[in-house]
Amino acid sequence: MQYLWLVPALPLLGFLVLFIAQGRLPDRLVAVVGAGSVGLAALAALAAGLDFRQSGADAYAQTLWTWMAVDGFAPTITLYLDSLSLVMMGVITGVGFLIHLYATGYMWNDHEEPRGYGRFFAYMNLFVFAMLMLVLGDNLLTLFLGWEGVGLCSYLLIGFYHRDAANGYAARKAFVVTRVGDTLMALGLFLLFRELGTLEIQQVLAAADGLSAGMATAIALLLLGGAVGKSAQVPLQTWLPDAMAGPTPVSALIHAATMVTAGVYLIARMHDVYLLSPTALLCVAVVGLATLFISSFTALVQTDIKRVLAFSTMSQIGYMFFALGVGAWSAAIFHLMTHAFFKALLFLAAGSVILALHHEQDMFKMGGLRKKLPVPFASMLVGSICLAALPLTSGFFSKDAIMLAAFDHPQHGLMFWGVAAIAAFMTALYTTRMMLLVFAGESKTEPHDASKANMWAPLVLLGVLSLAGGWWGFDIVGDVLPDGGLAEVSHVSPQALATIAMPLLGILLGLAVFGRRLIDAQSVAATRGGRLARLFFFSGWGFDWVYDRLVKGPFVWLARINESDVVDWLYRIAAGTARAFHHATALTQTGRLRWYAVNMAVGLIVVFLIVLEVL
Amino acid sequence: MILAVVLVLLLAGVLAWATERVAGANAPRLVSVVAFGLGLLWAAGEWWSGPAPGGLYAEQFLPWIPALGINVILALDGLSLLMVALTMFLGIVAVVSSWDEVDTGQGFFQFNILWVMAGVVGVFTALDLFLFFFFWEVMLIPMYFLIAIWGHENKAYASMKFFLFTQISGLLMLVAILALAYFHYAASGAWTFSYATLIDADLPAGVAMWLMLGFFVAFATKLPSVPLHTWLPDAHTQAPTAGSVILAGILLKTGAYGLIRFAVPLFPEASREFADWAMLLGAASVLYGGVMAFSQSDFKRLVAYSSIAHMGFILLGVYAFNEWGMQGAVVTMIAHGFSTAALFMMAGAIQQRLHTREMARMGGLWVRAPRMGAMTLFFVVASVGMPGLGNFVGEFLALLGAFQANVPITVAATVGIVVAAVYGLYLMQRSFQGPPNADVAELRDFGLREMSVMTLMMVGLVWVGIYPQPLLDLSAQTIAELGVLP
Repeated sequence: MQYLWLVPALPLLGFLVLFIAQGRLPDRLVAVVGAGSVGLAALAALAAGLDFRQSGADAYAQTLWTWMAVDGFAPTITLYLDSLSLVMMGVITGVGFLIHLYATGYMWNDHEEPRGYGRFFAYMNLFVFAMLMLVLGDNLLTLFLGWEGVGLCSYLLIGFYHRDAANGYAARKAFVVTRVGDTLMALGLFLLFRELGTLEIQQVLAAADGLSAGMATAIALLLLGGAVGKSAQVPLQTWLPDAMAGPTPVSALIHAATMVTAGVYLIARMHDVYLLSPTALLCVAVVGLATLFISSFTALVQTDIKRVLAFSTMSQIGYMFFALGVGAWSAAIFHLMTHAFFKALLFLAAGSVILALHHEQDMFKMGGLRKKLPVPFASMLVGSICLAALPLTSGFFSKDAIMLAAFDHPQHGLMFWGVAAIAAFMTALYTTRMMLLVFAGESKTEPHDASKANMWAPLVLLGVLSLAGGWWGFDIVGDVLPDGGLAEVSHVSPQALATIAMPLLGILLGLAVFGRRLIDAQSVAATRGGRLARLFFFSGWGFDWVYDRLVKGPFVWLARINESDVVDWLYRIAAGTARAFHHATALTQTGRLRWYAVNMAVGLIVVFLIVLEVL
Repeated sequence: MILAVVLVLLLAGVLAWATERVAGANAPRLVSVVAFGLGLLWAAGEWWSGPAPGGLYAEQFLPWIPALGINVILALDGLSLLMVALTMFLGIVAVVSSWDEVDTGQGFFQFNILWVMAGVVGVFTALDLFLFFFFWEVMLIPMYFLIAIWGHENKAYASMKFFLFTQISGLLMLVAILALAYFHYAASGAWTFSYATLIDADLPAGVAMWLMLGFFVAFATKLPSVPLHTWLPDAHTQAPTAGSVILAGILLKTGAYGLIRFAVPLFPEASREFADWAMLLGAASVLYGGVMAFSQSDFKRLVAYSSIAHMGFILLGVYAFNEWGMQGAVVTMIAHGFSTAALFMMAGAIQQRLHTREMARMGGLWVRAPRMGAMTLFFVVASVGMPGLGNFVGEFLALLGAFQANVPITVAATVGIVVAAVYGLYLMQRSFQGPPNADVAELRDFGLREMSVMTLMMVGLVWVGIYPQPLLDLSAQTIAELGVLP
């Protein structure tokens, strides 16, 4: 396990090589370095993981150096491996490698950014490094290093096609909105340090009992603020749909499989703080619930295939937050893992479709692609049934665990379950709609599928993982998280059967409406109420509209009116006054003796009058 | 030895001026680089050989005006060493980066640069208040010339504004210095301007606050802090590249240094009473500077306003009255020296190539000059406060310290890191990203000379970002000896 440091170091090395080369490496070599570094990191992670499991230890810590030491604040750069970070490390390097491999094909001969191959993989490698620091960091400051680092890479990759100003806007929006959350998180760190005198995660967890209830709530909510931003949850979710401007492998890696689940990891990691505050836990559950509900409706009316997947990602991460909030800690991480498999699969398969259609993303311009694109179709079908959580898929096992744990919530069980079940129904509905729009019906285009083994092999592997990833259960993180592993559930209770039924109903309705057209969706949407509802859902429930008016508008207005710096006017007025006096007195200097004499006489008279106390 | 370093810089200035006629325009530049190089070597040597038992790396005492107790007292402790090393380094950077920017009066140009820097070295090492004020003035005049002679379109206005702000606030400090010496004289019967003596001066009740404010206004103007900041956007924008690099990289830091070395330790109680106000000004600078930076359409002016925002963190850190805050302020001084100097160099490079600073006339420059784009991106990211780069360490420590002292003000200032992201990335967008501007047909990308300087700055920022300990150790010793922290 001494080589644990290699896991983040290899992608970092890959980044450095590509950065220093400044695009002078031939593309083949870039592919080798870019995907190879992550592949080697995956091997190192595998070896470290096997070692770790064999050693039987609870945790392994490797201190590299002390970052800074100032008066008792001495965060170290320490890699900390326990079963939770092991799962995360596995997902990041494993799924990460498959996505990198896919990307070597996807980005090849990219017409939009012909010289960007090296830059793309440099950013991707840097991302993997930062993400690994996030989950391996033993100190909240190291975690924050990774946290900000992934945000930066997300920004860079969303705006990868930088010639289009809209992409730049989406990238900046993502960075700034998540930074609002990061700011809250930084405040949480300050507060945590003030209360406990350390940011070492294990020390914090051990000492958390000493926090007062109010303080624990405050810290937990501030950290939740960070989690909400990074994981695109309500109310900071608005950046994720726009983030789809990035190349599709980026969406798969950053905006589906890894970075956006960082918030889930953070809360799971800091579980002892959350356990002290029922209020904060309830907030986590409500945030998750609100997000999964809102975004499942929004996904139904999207026209862009990537936006459907983006909203579905938000919704699925909502399930994870929801799980954390109701105490199903292991189920949350389980769902994080299975979601990483099937959502990466969905994005990559969608990417193959998009690439075959020359970057067409509008589902209404697709259709009938089932026969023409068999590999993407099969992959997408597998991903979809996992997303909809049909029985025996990985998504089923993890989501089922969440739903049934929610049902057992002591106060709000039925309500929680009910909302989540509606969203599960909606998930199946919009997934069915997406599949039918893309693959069924008449063919409208002639696709050119040029994908080679480096593109379809990741699809096949992810497909296998998506289908079988839940068959062995998920007790691995039980020793770290407070629930001790997945709860035993019965699959014959009414709520269990209802949970299974929800997605099936959704698919049936989907087939009826979008397949058989028993109800015409277009005419429903054309009614007045339908139009309004569609617009409302399509816009993501109006969050952007509100933020534009409440935050962005006033800020820009303030900046515009004060461009010349109001403070400077004080000095300009002072200078102007001085100049006015200068001009006034200069006027008296005429050079005419008569004028001076008169002045003197008048002055003398005035002085006399004052002396004589007349004036 | 310290005086010798100052004299070497002064003489090198004269030499540079003289050689122009004999050996052409490149000679003065070489003289400058060699002089700063020697200075840097000297600083590195002092660092390498370690401090004397008293904790000083070098010290010097010469009588000057004995009747008034005025002496040449120069001392180099950890903080001074750090600042002097930064000065020499940025001196080289300033000269190399603007190698072919100035085409008239190269000799006098380098003379002024060297004389500014000589004054700066004196400011960072003087421990006699009269001598300190002397060097404070020495910095001012050559800087005025740099802006007034080689500045851009509005140079007369900008240089005069710079001069007046610095001079008027400096006069307040002079009054405070004289009053401090007088009160000490009244109490003890002996005239002295020695820092070591005056630090223990007994002051009548109520006087300390006024004297402290005299120092504070001078340093807060130099830093600068809102609302004394308005000279900076004009001066930085109008100055030639080397001038901007020196102004932002070094001269602003003399204000921060003055707060740490003089304003706080000479009047600890008064400073403590004033701390909340100073922190409030710090937070106001962070936010106001940030919003102002966002509203600018001029590349260089935007960077100038962002400096004000960064300097706000220094006020927050210093007046938090704990080691985290103080160290945060010091690291911010160094990191900002690198990141902002680099951005000013970029502004200069763009102006030299496109003859404009207006971002509306840029756009999509990445396509034409990818190396310049990558460098701008790096330093923007650093100044946005990305962990792993120097600015983060400084700002995080400053905020961490400030949070322990005053929660509401720190919360307000922390919002500033969102604003930093807004204006930083917007700068990147308008200059290097977006559709390539059709008016910009060609743009000469950075060559070896520029890239080597940029690489040095990058390495510096990464070093401060991931292993700032050597730097922290240097300043920790000074901070402990100031005796103002609990």
